[in-house]
Amino acid sequence: MTAYVIRRLWQMIPTIAGVILLIFFLFNWVGGDPAQVLAGKISNPEQIANIRKQLGVDQPYWYQLWVFVQQVFTFDFGRSWSTNEEVSRILLTRVGPTLTIMIPVLVIETVLAVLFAIMVAYVRGSVTDRTIMIVCTVAMSISFLVYIIVFQWLFGFILGWFPVQGWSESFWKNLFTYAPLPIMLAVFVGLAPQLRLYRSFFLDEINQDYVRTARAKGLPEKKVMLKHVLRNAMIPILTNIGISLPGIFVGSFLLEVFFSVPGLGREIITAVNRSDFPVIKAVTVYLAILTMLINLIVDVMYKYVDPRVSFK
Amino acid sequence: MLTFRALNPIRLPILAATLALAAAFALGTAEAAPKKVLRMAFRTAETGFDPQKVYDRYSVGICENIYEGLLTYDYLARPVKVVPLVAESVPEPEEGGTRYTFRIKPGIYYVDDPVFKGRKRELVARDFEYAIKRFRDPVNKSPYEWLFENKVAGLDEYVERQKKAGKFNYDEPVTGLEVRGKYVISFKLKEPDYNFLYVLAMPNVVPVAREVIEGYAADTHGHPVGTGPYVLKDWVRRSKIVLERNPDHRGYELDPRYADMRDPFDRAAVEALRGKRLPLIDRVEIYPIEDEQPRYLAFMNLEHDLLDELHPAFVHQVLPNGKLNSVLEKRGVHVFREEQPEFTYDSFNVEDPVIGGYSPERVALRRALVQAHDRTQEINIIRKQQALPAQSPVPPGIVGYDPEFRAPSQDFDTSKAKALLDMFGYVDRDGDGWRDQPDGKPLVLSYKYNVSQETRQLAELWVKSLANVGIRMDTLGIQFADLLNDKRVGKFQIAASAWTADYPDAQNFLQLYYGPNTDQSNESRFKLPEYDRLYQKSLGLPDGPERSAIYREMNRLLLAYAPVRLGVHRIYNHLQYPWVRGYKKHPILYTNFKYLDIDVAAQQVAMK
Repeated sequence: MTAYVIRRLWQMIPTIAGVILLIFFLFNWVGGDPAQVLAGKISNPEQIANIRKQLGVDQPYWYQLWVFVQQVFTFDFGRSWSTNEEVSRILLTRVGPTLTIMIPVLVIETVLAVLFAIMVAYVRGSVTDRTIMIVCTVAMSISFLVYIIVFQWLFGFILGWFPVQGWSESFWKNLFTYAPLPIMLAVFVGLAPQLRLYRSFFLDEINQDYVRTARAKGLPEKKVMLKHVLRNAMIPILTNIGISLPGIFVGSFLLEVFFSVPGLGREIITAVNRSDFPVIKAVTVYLAILTMLINLIVDVMYKYVDPRVSFK
Repeated sequence: MLTFRALNPIRLPILAATLALAAAFALGTAEAAPKKVLRMAFRTAETGFDPQKVYDRYSVGICENIYEGLLTYDYLARPVKVVPLVAESVPEPEEGGTRYTFRIKPGIYYVDDPVFKGRKRELVARDFEYAIKRFRDPVNKSPYEWLFENKVAGLDEYVERQKKAGKFNYDEPVTGLEVRGKYVISFKLKEPDYNFLYVLAMPNVVPVAREVIEGYAADTHGHPVGTGPYVLKDWVRRSKIVLERNPDHRGYELDPRYADMRDPFDRAAVEALRGKRLPLIDRVEIYPIEDEQPRYLAFMNLEHDLLDELHPAFVHQVLPNGKLNSVLEKRGVHVFREEQPEFTYDSFNVEDPVIGGYSPERVALRRALVQAHDRTQEINIIRKQQALPAQSPVPPGIVGYDPEFRAPSQDFDTSKAKALLDMFGYVDRDGDGWRDQPDGKPLVLSYKYNVSQETRQLAELWVKSLANVGIRMDTLGIQFADLLNDKRVGKFQIAASAWTADYPDAQNFLQLYYGPNTDQSNESRFKLPEYDRLYQKSLGLPDGPERSAIYREMNRLLLAYAPVRLGVHRIYNHLQYPWVRGYKKHPILYTNFKYLDIDVAAQQVAMK
């Protein structure tokens, strides 16, 4: 396994190089000139040139790229161009609120989706199955934004069950006062597609010969479903969770904006709007590295879920 | 009558004990009194609180409360009036409007900070000199550097010397920034400037202590230390800003001299604040909330006490038919309707080969475009009737605004637009249903804008309006930074813009068309010698009939040559619950915390 892990880590280097190049060229060709924004309402070409010089964007591309590479490997992205705050501090202070929302969302969503999926897969073709599938399809057809607007208005304002928005310094207050509504919303929105997907995983397994054999052997249905079907369906489910894991670090921009959660997603959008390249660079690179590491961990975990998998 | 002489040695300790008990009780009661807390939202996240580095109005709005400049504006006076803040008085211009001398009130102290090493730090004239030099120090990338460019005698030369030396020497004197002793600073200007007092009343033209800036050099945004009525107590960047009353502040008193007692807001403010030592609010909590719905619902849910700048999307809900809805009326909510000191506009690039130039046919084309644009629809539909049609670039409430001035050539009139186009040869020459240029080339115009829902609607309105007169238009939504750049270098044909007053004088708006400001704020690249001559002449004149006549003539030239389509002056509605006392929105100052009071009992009853 050690050789496998080392090989996978080694393979990450060209991927990171690709990410660096992509971000760099996208920012320089598509992104706006930060000096224009920082210069204010009235500025002359000399002032703009001075700002460009201070930011280092007047340097040749190869030099800027080299600085970027150094930043990636030293994990030091300097300071935000718009607020002068240390990028590392921005990331550290923002990741907490994002995870406070997104970890419960992932856990609740996965548990509920697996539970409902195995239930509807078991009663496949029944009225319950069809009704749930229709509800899921309708739920998936509505924009996330509509859900946010309606939920916030209904549960926050009309019913008054939760605050409309806000965040505090206390983790517990955040978790039990401010986070429940966005969590509920995200779970509600994410549940329908997950349920449909996991149902198909379960159906694939239910139709397998080994399930028929287990039933023929007289195993109780509970054992067939929970031991045999669930365990085998966990492989694609695990893959799906692995794919969505890096996303929890970025959070949902819309949720964070609407519920005033000071998380990473909101920070990224602010950075893009302000052409704040150091923040954009840091978040994108760290996210890419995180995605690769999580993929590696998920691949290693396959071995434990499915003994047929071997490291080659 | 009880006198000390009447007290015998036995009674004295009893009396002392009684007094001590009473004092302790009173102190206890005072401590137990609930704090006056104001909660509100900003529409955009702040950037920081280094006054010489910030640009956005929200950051400047916080600086307003932490720092104090030489001058400020009277809270109630309309049109606005400059009044002293840390200066002893507003000086009269000397030497033909080229010298302004200020005497600072002695005994004003910065809030205590570790950087002062336990000593009280008094505000001195040298702090102003330092702050103004900071505007020009390239390291600070100050967005307001232009305020002191080509303005103060010797300052430009000083800056050049520092740039050559590669390091700013703040100790080197500047002839135009004359510090006389501890409390006097005299500004000598290169040219007469009767608006210079407005510059010194700007909320970011404020003194900073050099040791604070040098002590917190790595993060001056995060360590604002001023002499103002509030201190920054807590700052979760882009999420929460908490200001608390500066306990050592000397306090203000409302000056009701300029109040208009027929105005209900003025009357209420005077009644609530007269004779009280300001500020009255203990703590201000501000939450930047970018989206409109949570901001609106937070107010409706009593999570916030104020809602500044109600978004037009909620206007029909809150103010159906222009009147407050019944729910809010029952709650006693007040609406302050403010005509913003700003104007929106579309710049025509006067150097563009198709629409630019000063020849009759090009001027006619631009004027036809203006008249083809359906501004009525813009106001009624897109802006939900929360805007006034601009008659000149100068908005109401600004010194130099002429309420009698009318601009019929900016009104929507397709017949006139078509007639103008026909008269100057912009007709359909190839029979494709679209107008062509007089030389037969196709006439396809382009419009650049910064992408948002509102600007997209405005772009669609342009396309529809021009299609009605037979002109094709392509629209291009781009990033804000790119739009700024394209406008600065003239890489556009027609582009969307807006301008908000930096200071309340028409000059701040009319400079947008001054020829030498091309590549800076003159986006239209309009260079008309007559306009430039009038502008220069106006600079040397104080406010008065002569200057007003010049401004009127400049406005006429703008209408005649049409380097711009005048848009609107937007109207904002600000909502307050009845327990917020003393509210009035100032057109230039962004915040008014120091003039507000909170009826805590009413606030708590409502929140139960």
